[in-house]
Amino acid sequence: MLILRQLSALAMLVFVSSHTLFASQPVTIPPAMTDLLQQHCADCHSGSSPEAEISLDDLHELKLDDQLTVLNAALEQLHFGMMPPADADQPSSQDHQALLHWLTEQLDQQNANQLRDKLRRPEYGNHVDHDALFSGEHVNRPGFTENRRWLISEYIFDAKFNRILNHQVHVNIDGKRQFVTGSNKRRVNLTNPFLLPNHSGVRYYANETLNGGHLLTMLTNAKEAGAYMLYLAGRDQRYLPAVTQLLALETQHAKTLAARERFLNQHLETVLVNQFGNQHAKLLPAFQPVDVPAPIPNDGSVKKAPFHAANPGNKELELVFRSMQRHQADGLSDQQLVERCEREWFYHGHNPRTIQARITFLNNYMEEFRGQIKQHRYAEKYKPVEYRPLSESEMQTIQTTIGKHRSAGDRYDAIIQKCMEQWQQEFKQARIDAGPADPALVTELVQQLFEKILERPPSEGEQEKHVALATHFLNGLGNQEGVKKLIQTLILNTDFVYRSEFGQGDADQYGRRMLSPRDASYALSYALTDNGPDNELQTAAREGRLKSREDYEREVRRMLARRDLYSIIDESVHRPNDLSSFTRMPIREHRFIREYFGYQRLLPIFKDNKRFGASYDAAKLRLVSETDRLVDHLLEQDQNVFYELLTTDKFYVFHSGDNEVMQASADRIRRIYDYFKDKNWNEFEVEDLGNHKEFIAAEKMRGIDVSRLFKDRRYNPLNAFKSQLASFTLRLDKGQTAAAPYNSFPAHGMANAASRYGGRFQSPEVARFYNIDMADWDYQAIQPATVRHRKGLLTSPAWLIAHAKNTETDPIQRGKWIREKLLAGTIPDVPITVDAVIPEDPHKTLRQRMEAKTGDQSCWKCHQHMNPLGLPFESFDDFGRYRSEERLEYPENLLKKVQDKGAPHEDLRDIYKTLPVVTAGALSGTGDNRLDGDVENAFDLIDRLAQSDRARQTMIRYAFRYFMGRNETLSDSKTLIDADHAYLESGGSFDELIVSLLTSDSFIYRKPNPDTL
Amino acid sequence: MSIHRRQVLQAAGISLGGMSLAQSLAPALATATSPIAAGLGPRRFVFIRKSNGVRPKEVTLPSFSDAQKKADNDRQPLDVDLANHDLPEWLQQLETHKQHLCILQGLSCKMSENGHWSYSSVLGAYKSGRNSLSGIKRATIDFELAKLFPSPFGHVELSLTGNYSTFRTGIVSGYSAPAPHQRNYCYADPQTAYNELFKSVTHPEAVDSDNQMLAFLQGEENFKAEMLAGYEKQKLSNHVQSIEQIQERNKQLTGLADVIKQHLPELDAVHANGGQNASTPEKQQAMTDILVAALATGLTNVVTYTIDELSTPIKGLPGNESDHISIHELGHNGGYSGVPADEIRETIRVGHVSQVATIVNKLKKIPEGNGTLFDNTVILYFPENGEGHHSHGTEAPFVILAGDHCRLDLLGRYIRLPYHGTEGHKTIGNWYTTLLNAYGNPIQHYGDMDLEMSRKKLDQIGAIKQFMPA
Repeated sequence: MLILRQLSALAMLVFVSSHTLFASQPVTIPPAMTDLLQQHCADCHSGSSPEAEISLDDLHELKLDDQLTVLNAALEQLHFGMMPPADADQPSSQDHQALLHWLTEQLDQQNANQLRDKLRRPEYGNHVDHDALFSGEHVNRPGFTENRRWLISEYIFDAKFNRILNHQVHVNIDGKRQFVTGSNKRRVNLTNPFLLPNHSGVRYYANETLNGGHLLTMLTNAKEAGAYMLYLAGRDQRYLPAVTQLLALETQHAKTLAARERFLNQHLETVLVNQFGNQHAKLLPAFQPVDVPAPIPNDGSVKKAPFHAANPGNKELELVFRSMQRHQADGLSDQQLVERCEREWFYHGHNPRTIQARITFLNNYMEEFRGQIKQHRYAEKYKPVEYRPLSESEMQTIQTTIGKHRSAGDRYDAIIQKCMEQWQQEFKQARIDAGPADPALVTELVQQLFEKILERPPSEGEQEKHVALATHFLNGLGNQEGVKKLIQTLILNTDFVYRSEFGQGDADQYGRRMLSPRDASYALSYALTDNGPDNELQTAAREGRLKSREDYEREVRRMLARRDLYSIIDESVHRPNDLSSFTRMPIREHRFIREYFGYQRLLPIFKDNKRFGASYDAAKLRLVSETDRLVDHLLEQDQNVFYELLTTDKFYVFHSGDNEVMQASADRIRRIYDYFKDKNWNEFEVEDLGNHKEFIAAEKMRGIDVSRLFKDRRYNPLNAFKSQLASFTLRLDKGQTAAAPYNSFPAHGMANAASRYGGRFQSPEVARFYNIDMADWDYQAIQPATVRHRKGLLTSPAWLIAHAKNTETDPIQRGKWIREKLLAGTIPDVPITVDAVIPEDPHKTLRQRMEAKTGDQSCWKCHQHMNPLGLPFESFDDFGRYRSEERLEYPENLLKKVQDKGAPHEDLRDIYKTLPVVTAGALSGTGDNRLDGDVENAFDLIDRLAQSDRARQTMIRYAFRYFMGRNETLSDSKTLIDADHAYLESGGSFDELIVSLLTSDSFIYRKPNPDTL
Repeated sequence: MSIHRRQVLQAAGISLGGMSLAQSLAPALATATSPIAAGLGPRRFVFIRKSNGVRPKEVTLPSFSDAQKKADNDRQPLDVDLANHDLPEWLQQLETHKQHLCILQGLSCKMSENGHWSYSSVLGAYKSGRNSLSGIKRATIDFELAKLFPSPFGHVELSLTGNYSTFRTGIVSGYSAPAPHQRNYCYADPQTAYNELFKSVTHPEAVDSDNQMLAFLQGEENFKAEMLAGYEKQKLSNHVQSIEQIQERNKQLTGLADVIKQHLPELDAVHANGGQNASTPEKQQAMTDILVAALATGLTNVVTYTIDELSTPIKGLPGNESDHISIHELGHNGGYSGVPADEIRETIRVGHVSQVATIVNKLKKIPEGNGTLFDNTVILYFPENGEGHHSHGTEAPFVILAGDHCRLDLLGRYIRLPYHGTEGHKTIGNWYTTLLNAYGNPIQHYGDMDLEMSRKKLDQIGAIKQFMPA
């Protein structure tokens, strides 16, 4: 008897680990089921060579684990209609259902139903029959979502900690300081364990569970966050008043200690002189100067490190300056001054090595340091600290303690240390003597931490337990550590890492309850943003105004209309001084389109600069940013959104999204070009620039500072001048409409255009993705603008690269994407026995090589659903460049080796032999005979898809999954049909689609979880 | 050449053992899943990253014959027995360990970041997009090895870095990656490393309070789970299981208390409060003591140690004791106090090798089985960014030390592999694959492909066969 020999190790592991928790007796197979299996399955699955190595012989005698493996395989095959094979006798519908029911029941009883688990996964979403969902046959099924806890996403993790830790980021956008959300560059070092997968489609599902890896990471995060929260409570008593109060004594002690230590560090010498009078000098240790090397000769014979590389850092510079300030006197030589400083540092007990470094630095860089002092106005910044004694009682304490501890030969640091140790001990004892914390205060602490961390008050039971725990921690660890530990406990509570979505109130006739108002406020907020509910939502929940569909609609429409929140779209694209990546619309609305198309997946794909013909790495960030900008634009238009996403021929190319600024930048280059074009500038000498200095200054020509012309003989910006004029000429002398405002050469200072963040506008190489010849670029300052050979996001270079390989295209992935994301199709995983490598052949195109590999019957069974959809995109290479010829990039096909470095406009690609690209393909599965059939090329395919009801409905299915966090079922049929109608009736408004989904039964109603896995 | 999907799946299946992403980032909670690794007993790996590159000529052997010198200069393959040669001056402290030493030349690292810094990419063989989280493509090699040889801490990362004038202190962002898009943390000063690693002995009350907290959480979540059913119940059960796993790990730590006491290093007072007054050599020495103790106690089997990066302040360096040296400036050929940059660079390397030699000497004195701890240890000293201050990644010389039970066939030799972009060339991806294959992860290839090798259609998949155990 055999079981699945070919099951992957992974599947086995998951399966065994889940069911062994509940393992019991082997399954008994009733005669009726045995008969059915014998009748419909045993022909193939028995004997010595059963099909797929699955045998049903003696099933009842197998060990439970093996039995369950076979039953799971059978259930899956039956459920997906893959068995019996199409050409075999089929069981009656009744038998089919009976077998399905029995298998499900047996596996559920053993808590080993793998199919149930699989059907929750995103990749199984399309297994629900599309026609059935949209036929209207199932609209009477009541929609609902099960009560659930939903693990937070990477974005919610950031938002939660940003809120708790008061992390607020402001960015200069379009000249105004704006608060932005979505930053993860906190001062606290946290690791985000809730990362989402990187596939295209819907990435965030409610299926994930927290495991040991998450928890271990959260343990460290909780410690870091706890320490920082205490710091915040110390700075602002409104942050956590109970913590401030609880730690009042500690805070007061810490402040007193800090004040004494600061005072002694600054004025100990004065205190000692006052206290010990003539005795003071005698009690000092004998001064021991440190050895320092001879100063570096100043005659240029020895290369000296520059000041910036040799100085000991700003803090040290300040300290040295203050010492010099104290000891500076008329007539004092540098050497004498340094010696006085050294004495001071010696008596203060500074580390000899540090003193040595300071003196070496002063010996070698005194002149430069004085320059720095003057330039950075040290005297104004670091004014001398005057001696002001502390209060009488404090001075009394200090003098008494010093008197007790000072010994002959002590340096100042030793005296301070001994005093501090005594005071620390005294304060510690004082805190012990003060007794345990007031129970009422501990209760307040628990309540405030619940509100701060879990955003809700504790229940009565929780309060009781947490007060007991807090008391235990406070008594055992002291107040500071005890509070930290309590903070950690709450951060590790599942309520912190899981979103809660449970029904409340009376059940309706179908057993459904509406989301509790609080859970609804979070569900709505997290549907559109990464943050918890805003003030309006919180108020609505509190005041009982989240109890009806109309309430939901009101809030959803309000949130969709907001444009006052700036969100960073992608931290890895966002460059605070350069590349902008932000949106003002609800971030999750934008993110759906981004993730559905999956174009951001190009970011981790690195490519050969030589094959790109320029620097790819920088250009790819701009490419993603500009694709985001296009998505933002189409969503803002909110008309025929899906159609536009699929068919628009307007793109952003080297454009910030601010038409006014980009036009002005292009105009400026035009003015400069026009001004000089007839002035024989190529023959200019530096003196000639003087004749045009007003113009140059007015236009702020890059790399030319007219104020230095003729004042500084060594200053010669002629190269900068000629380089940009040559470059501007290249951009305009062929009759181009406008000049792309890129930089002609690298230099500090402002660029030819500014980013939305006010930084330099860079990476014009992005144009190459669109086949734009930078030596003849007819720049469009007003964008999005028409780009040749493009139609919608599927022809955007970002999508094309994201669905390509490092060195070649990937028609299979491109076709798979269309099959799954636009045609609701399913593609089985590549069988593990298949060698899925396309053989190399220097004389064939990829299409030819692929067809040879996937053309045989066994491969074609699946590839017929992908290849014909992906191959039309062979008119774009793996950089997304349009092509009619495919370069056969093999060493033997190299026709011309091109230089590796050159000016921005030069194409540095090597030249290879080529073959014509064939773009024919076929569309199937739209359910519309007018659309299905052979297609000429990608544009033909896209035109048909854009007209397809199924394509639109498939996008709606993905939107459903995105906003619900789960796969659809037949009971969601009405929700989907309503969403489709809402979209169509509104002229293709994505906002209306969202309103429809978030006010649907599927969203607002919850039912208890069935008692099975 | 491409990787066969089947082979990748097979490798991934074994190496990850079906773990999800977040589980895979926790070697501290892992159990050995590779039969080969499980059969090997404890194996240890120390990765020592240095900045400013290692220039290939710095590691060539001064006693090369003319023919060998020419081959080396011409970057032709070479395989030379170290026993018959002198080591370069700066490696002299390893003279007595020559039979356990390999100088490996000719590896390239172009698929990682080059230039000034490489961040996590040199250990992951990918471009990290400078230091962006999204650029972290996979668990770095050290974490992959840590998964094969689990331990209570799983993996320990140390670093001596700074902002040119002051040292970083505390627990800060690290350079290794436990999983895609994850940045590890590291101990940035000896005192912090000491406090955190050995706290089950130095601060047992901290571990106790952790356990009390976990027990409380366990009770709370069990209570909630009782009120749920089906899949939602399973979610909380998973959480409770995770708590139990961490409790078990804490129990292991407590169980190591006696061993920790035995190996607890003595830390000089200069390292208190971040140790800003400590010289760079003092910090290095203290980190070395901690590193050895972390291995000897069994707290971890893998340590990654960034011994310096360009912004690490260099203070108290022999010959330039009173200078405040910037490694970055040295890279631009700036000398200090009349000492030329090259000489200071050599002194810095001598300091590094002194630490490497100390690690070897100490490990050789700690018994394990019939031999010593060193028998089961592999130490890799290498540049984070390639062959120089502004590297292109065409060469990344490695200095490797390993004990008698090393599963790689390369000890006692100077090996130069074929140059980048030529037939037979090997990348750090091949090198890390070799390590993984030899120690129990049969992955077909670890790391990204070299794009120039791909363009030239040159084979670059898999382990370096001549290094693999017979």
